[in-house]
Amino acid sequence: MSESHPRLQRVPTHHGAGWASADQPTGWASGPGAGSAFLSASPRVSSGSRQALCLWLPTFELRLELIRSPELDSTSIALLSPGESTRRTTWQVSERAHEAGVRPGQLVSQAVSLCPSLTLLEPDPAHYDAAVNSMLELLSEITPVLEPAGRGRVFLGMDGLGRLFGSPERQAKRALRSLFRIFPAPLVAATRAGMSPGKFGAWVAAASARSGEPVIVGESGLTPFLARCPVSSLPVDPLIVQRLERLGVHTLGELRRFPEPSLISQFGDEGRSTLAWATGRRIDPVRPWHRPEPIRVSLDFPNPVGATETLHGALDRLIERALSRPTRRGRSVTGVRLGAQLEGGGSWFVETVLREPTAQRERIASPLRAKMTISPPPKAVDTLIVELTQFGAPGTQTGLFDRREENGRAAGGRELARGEVPPSLRDAVKELKLRLGHSPLYRVVEVDPWSRIPERRHALLSFDP
Amino acid sequence: MSDAPGLRPLGRPRVVTVHTDEHGEPTHVRLPGKPARTVETVCEQWRIDDEWWRQPISREYRVVILDDGRNVTLYHDLLEGNWYVQRG
Repeated sequence: MSESHPRLQRVPTHHGAGWASADQPTGWASGPGAGSAFLSASPRVSSGSRQALCLWLPTFELRLELIRSPELDSTSIALLSPGESTRRTTWQVSERAHEAGVRPGQLVSQAVSLCPSLTLLEPDPAHYDAAVNSMLELLSEITPVLEPAGRGRVFLGMDGLGRLFGSPERQAKRALRSLFRIFPAPLVAATRAGMSPGKFGAWVAAASARSGEPVIVGESGLTPFLARCPVSSLPVDPLIVQRLERLGVHTLGELRRFPEPSLISQFGDEGRSTLAWATGRRIDPVRPWHRPEPIRVSLDFPNPVGATETLHGALDRLIERALSRPTRRGRSVTGVRLGAQLEGGGSWFVETVLREPTAQRERIASPLRAKMTISPPPKAVDTLIVELTQFGAPGTQTGLFDRREENGRAAGGRELARGEVPPSLRDAVKELKLRLGHSPLYRVVEVDPWSRIPERRHALLSFDP
Repeated sequence: MSDAPGLRPLGRPRVVTVHTDEHGEPTHVRLPGKPARTVETVCEQWRIDDEWWRQPISREYRVVILDDGRNVTLYHDLLEGNWYVQRG
């Protein structure tokens, strides 16, 4: 088991070294599982894999762009932030651009004035997500317990793999080597790997690792290893990190000297978590990530479309098509993603999590339209894509009788007794007649309610308002 | 009643196979499409004789409980001799 001393400048909070990204200062990237990679897990190991391997590909998206366009390798390049329309800022910048003073999060005008030869690239989220998906598919051959945390970072649960792959070093190297099957050598060479009990330890180990040389931290070595790590590696509010640094607390070892009540009085509940992480008491297992197969529908326009009304109309049609897919199997929708292939290359997407599970077109389309207004496609659209990504329980069925209350009591169905047909029922019959050719609904009518012969008392009368 | 257009009587009787003992009491019932069941108890019994002036009806009803716990209303058509099951 090898252990290396964490090189503080390697921890991704320090943008001065290597390539930089405008992600949060702690480097928690966006994407599936981002932000919740550590915060959601409970301190108690209840399920999942305790032994975690973290594979981290810094500035993953920018590197993918360079693989796609190798001629840009010798130039200063910056990837633009996704999801902004008016004040475009830089998201990830190359080393050359960084040397010229360009920083992630800068306005494009500032960046160009600092580096006139800067090449600006439009992000292509569809391309990046496809790369992540192929990576996850590949890694699932090593372990079924995979938990992505952003696009360029994934945790692998390695419990019980010793007899299959050998020592932890061999396991980590095996995972790294497997990436050669889908990524070119420069991208794999830039991948860092760290292994430790719990995700936090694995992440810090990966952040302190050299390319191609995994850092392995054992159970007994976790506490001393964490003691040397900077406080900026903690997955907490950056303001807490700033305050700690101002107080002269730079490493987790220094943080440990404080009694828990003092930290709680200063930082609230996060103070408690901070200490639990710093001491290695908190071990967050890798939890398998469940990803339902999305339902994907797309529409190719004969000519690129920029008109919002046309895109809204296409969105409605696509949602209808997606909802009618048999693979939905009656499930309601809770997450949906709208994407586009843009004219001249590049892609764009917005996604939303619905407040309530629904299978109604309008309820799904409405938040997407709102997001589209805030963050419209930067260029004309060649292909519009709708993906239903998350599903809930089967859709709620509307009642045949409109539910009304009169004097605090349910009054649904009374109008029918009075000879009135509620609009919901009328619509239902109309739909059924269209589908079946006749109305399959009947109304129970009294014929001879006091008859001694049971079949004479009531009858069914065809209901066709 | 059943001749009226769009009108379907509710609770139409269906023929069932019934084994009886020497006193004519049902002991086993085979409901349509189901295996035969033993009659555990006869809960209730009544007789209807009606409409003697046009098409006479003469039925002997029994509410029985079968060995699977099901509660079934049977009648014996005293004119035809057939057994029927009927919902109340």
